[in-house]
Amino acid sequence: MTRALGWLAALGLLVGLAAGFLYAPREAIQGNVQRIMYLHVPSVLTAYLAFALVLLGSIAYLATRRPHWDRLAGSAGEIGVLFTGLTIVSGSIWGKPTWGTWWTWDARLTSTAVLFLVYVGYLLLRSVIDEPDARARYSAIVGILGAVNIPIVHFSVTWWRALHQPSTILGPEPSPLALPLMIALYVNIVAFVLLFTYLLARRVEIARLEEETA
Amino acid sequence: MPDNWAYVFAAYGIAAVVLFGYWRHLARRARAVARPRAATKGRAA
Repeated sequence: MTRALGWLAALGLLVGLAAGFLYAPREAIQGNVQRIMYLHVPSVLTAYLAFALVLLGSIAYLATRRPHWDRLAGSAGEIGVLFTGLTIVSGSIWGKPTWGTWWTWDARLTSTAVLFLVYVGYLLLRSVIDEPDARARYSAIVGILGAVNIPIVHFSVTWWRALHQPSTILGPEPSPLALPLMIALYVNIVAFVLLFTYLLARRVEIARLEEETA
Repeated sequence: MPDNWAYVFAAYGIAAVVLFGYWRHLARRARAVARPRAATKGRAA
């Protein structure tokens, strides 16, 4: 099942690349550098999904004390950090030719950096506590508190004056994207969600086996 | 605006390296955790 999901994710990524580079036209104002959007936006949405699962797993663990919820939270947190890192790097690379700078202390960029650091801290906390119950309990609290950052990141461009453009999707206004660009974006979002699901399934299974052999 | 393909390839290249690296990291961990389990099963048989 997991292997089939992996192949499906690989296929999805190939279709996503084709959609982003072959199907979607060159953007009129930014030119081809806008194609970074098909990597940047799916990355951040996947990170949101991952951290939402950290929240879910953390609440469920504290309510039930069942270890599989902690495994879900820890695994999703690790993958969420990976995708947040990709979001920051791809955004920085996109920012240089469009804004003229790799980084600026804009509300969206700063809140994303805080989100990244909070979940790096979450992973560090998990790595320094040996006792499984205490590790699960303390990290669940951080996992719940950390989720407060998700809406702050997403709505930062609405709440504060920011250099970063408004949310392409899931924003208060209708998306300004033309249909072919929107289709290419959604194809890539689906591909990233498939990839995330595959990585999560593998990571959770590894965590389960490691706990059994410990 | 110029196309800035170098930036596009840099972004996708870094993403490919990071995602492939993480996938390999998981594959190594899966192999490492499967080895002692296989040995334990072998002894039990």
